[in-house]
Amino acid sequence: MAKLTIGCFSSLVGSMSLDFAVKLAEAAIEKGHEVDFWMSGNATMLSKKGQKSFKDYSYLDKRIRAAMDKGMKMCACEACAEARGYHKEDTFDHPGLIRKSMDWYLASCHTADRVLHIGGE
Amino acid sequence: MKLGVFVSDYQSTVNTLERLKSDQLGIFLVQNGVYHAAIAENGKGSAILDAAPRVFALREDLETRGFAADAVDARVKVVGYGDIVDLIFSEYPKLAWL
Repeated sequence: MAKLTIGCFSSLVGSMSLDFAVKLAEAAIEKGHEVDFWMSGNATMLSKKGQKSFKDYSYLDKRIRAAMDKGMKMCACEACAEARGYHKEDTFDHPGLIRKSMDWYLASCHTADRVLHIGGE
Repeated sequence: MKLGVFVSDYQSTVNTLERLKSDQLGIFLVQNGVYHAAIAENGKGSAILDAAPRVFALREDLETRGFAADAVDARVKVVGYGDIVDLIFSEYPKLAWL
């Protein structure tokens, strides 16, 4: 088993990059790898509670919960979230999800076998 | 060093790819990047396909855009998410996203 760290920096919920990142994480987990998933910038909204499913619109809430049930660790940038008016009480509950500073991402990258950094615009 | 580069958009990134130093470059076409694999302009395929010895395109993103696997350029290998995981762990220690 190896470790993959994915950093997603720009995406809104519903974007192609965020969909891709989650699906790649799922595939890595299915193959027995460890996955850390960092959400920065607008990607922090992926960890907001109360997301609703609409037809023909990306809905990742259940998928990331399932991935975390299988061991994926997710972390939302606390400063990015607060800057968007999204506070700790707005984060959905799951033991695999936390909010931290970018130190968490750097530490994860340092111990990862592979890092995929999906940058912002 | 082997470098795997994810190309996620349909625009010319050849200049960027040429500036990347790598012993062996692998290109992963994902999202709108898969158009590089399937569209020929004036009868000529995308220049990106000549930029690396190995080019892969994500099957799901091709199918989402209406392209069957047999519609892609012969230089491109069509892969799934699981294949990408295997490739990045077995062959590409460094990854980049364009």
